[in-house]
Amino acid sequence: MPREAEPSINDRAFLLQALQENIRLDGRALDAYRHLDISFGDDYGVADVRLGKTRVLTRISASITAPRPDRKFDGIFTITTELSPLASPAFESGRQSDLETHLSRILETSLRRSQALSTESLCLVAGQKVWALRADIHVLDYDGGLIDACCLSTLTALRHYRIPDASVKGGDLTVYTPVERDPVPLALLHHPVCVTLNFFESGEKWLVDATLMEQQCSEGEIVVAANPQGEVCLVQKGGGGEVDALVLLRCVEVAMGKVRELGKAMDGALAKDAKRRDKGGMSRELRAENER
Amino acid sequence: MAAQTLVLPGEAIPSDILPIPSNPSLALKLGPGLRHVPPSTITSVLAGSLCIDQKKNSIWVENNSGRYIPQPNDLVLAIVHHSSTDWYHCAITPHTTLAQLPQLAFEGATKKTRPQLNSGSLIYARVLSASKHTDPELACCNPSTGKSEGMGELKGGMVFDVSLGMARRLLLARQREEGGLVVLEEIAEKVAFEVAVGRNGKVWVKSGGVKETLLVGRALQETDREGLGVEEQGRLVKKLLRGI
Repeated sequence: MPREAEPSINDRAFLLQALQENIRLDGRALDAYRHLDISFGDDYGVADVRLGKTRVLTRISASITAPRPDRKFDGIFTITTELSPLASPAFESGRQSDLETHLSRILETSLRRSQALSTESLCLVAGQKVWALRADIHVLDYDGGLIDACCLSTLTALRHYRIPDASVKGGDLTVYTPVERDPVPLALLHHPVCVTLNFFESGEKWLVDATLMEQQCSEGEIVVAANPQGEVCLVQKGGGGEVDALVLLRCVEVAMGKVRELGKAMDGALAKDAKRRDKGGMSRELRAENER
Repeated sequence: MAAQTLVLPGEAIPSDILPIPSNPSLALKLGPGLRHVPPSTITSVLAGSLCIDQKKNSIWVENNSGRYIPQPNDLVLAIVHHSSTDWYHCAITPHTTLAQLPQLAFEGATKKTRPQLNSGSLIYARVLSASKHTDPELACCNPSTGKSEGMGELKGGMVFDVSLGMARRLLLARQREEGGLVVLEEIAEKVAFEVAVGRNGKVWVKSGGVKETLLVGRALQETDREGLGVEEQGRLVKKLLRGI
């Protein structure tokens, strides 16, 4: 009978004692993220984000379908999460847990409803054919910070993805293979990132990027989604415990700093990957033996 | 530890390195990671280092992975999940079923003076019986003498997770010679602390303050993660001690 590894009374007391002395168990500062590592697969649109021990892999795929009758000009973008028992003994396959619902709601609001991806750009033939974009999130290892890692992973994968180029001539739709025409990046309007803060000591103390154990011992959490330009897309508070309004404002401010930090890490990883893929650069394109 | 032999899955163990029994009729004992293919071939099914005990006439493969499976006589750190009339139900690992600890299996416990453990209490116990088909059974005292021998409820301190191989090394009688571990000895020269090592990959550490406890835990975890040698462990401990 698998279940979540609950911390013992001793662990809980020790963690809170350490926090009173401003010490975190892994030696980080209270407002520091764990080591973040973003890598990409061989295909476009596969992003693997590691945040400490938490690991999330997202894959973007696209297919052509008919649009919804009430939204003829909009493409379809769906996010599905998969919490498999591989990541934690508490996750069961085939049944949606509260965590999964919570996670998909937050991703929905922060990425889909904030119009990060312009669904209109996914329209091919109005009312007949649109791109159905699908983000599959697989949680491979779980040690807290799931929302942050999933959001970052999905956004990175979206930014990394290249959708096949298509053209419409006289009502005929042509979708080009990557050999015929280079696939094109998605039209992302802004880049929202989630930052989770956990509260302790009746809202007096807060932590950024809590590990699973810190999360289990905390009194409440607040998720802030914002883009590096400073626009807040979502603030969600959960877990009970009350928080002072001023503390909340301070938290949003801190989250904003973290969003910029994460955004920079994402930009760096994407630029590095682009460089890796662009072997030879322009000179290779122009060489005589190049088929095109 | 003699010269290490590393084996890979499927590799046949040459017969000349098998232990020589003192009495020819004594059967060779195969431990985890080895398989006997009749008539006389022994192959490994795990990757790891081959360990041979000449005295016990046994041979096994030591590796550092896998989930803990309870075995009789193992010392484990468990967390009380809930209690029923006569039992405490304890979690040894999150993956396996709850283990049962009789409420009277403590030193000097009678029906009137049994210890009161709440849900979430940490206990150090010995596995009495374990099999595939029944829940494991724990005891916090030696059943033959009734003495606690250091087992029972642990108060204060903090539990750190280590790999199963590291936990086995920590439980060796001679850590330095057999397991190549000096990290605890080195810290003990400067800082006083208590430890209890559970075979289920958990180490309980208690010391004077938060910093000291964390130092011991981090030293153990880093030694485990990086696979540090004896000299490197010394250097690590010196580095960590400077921070206090």
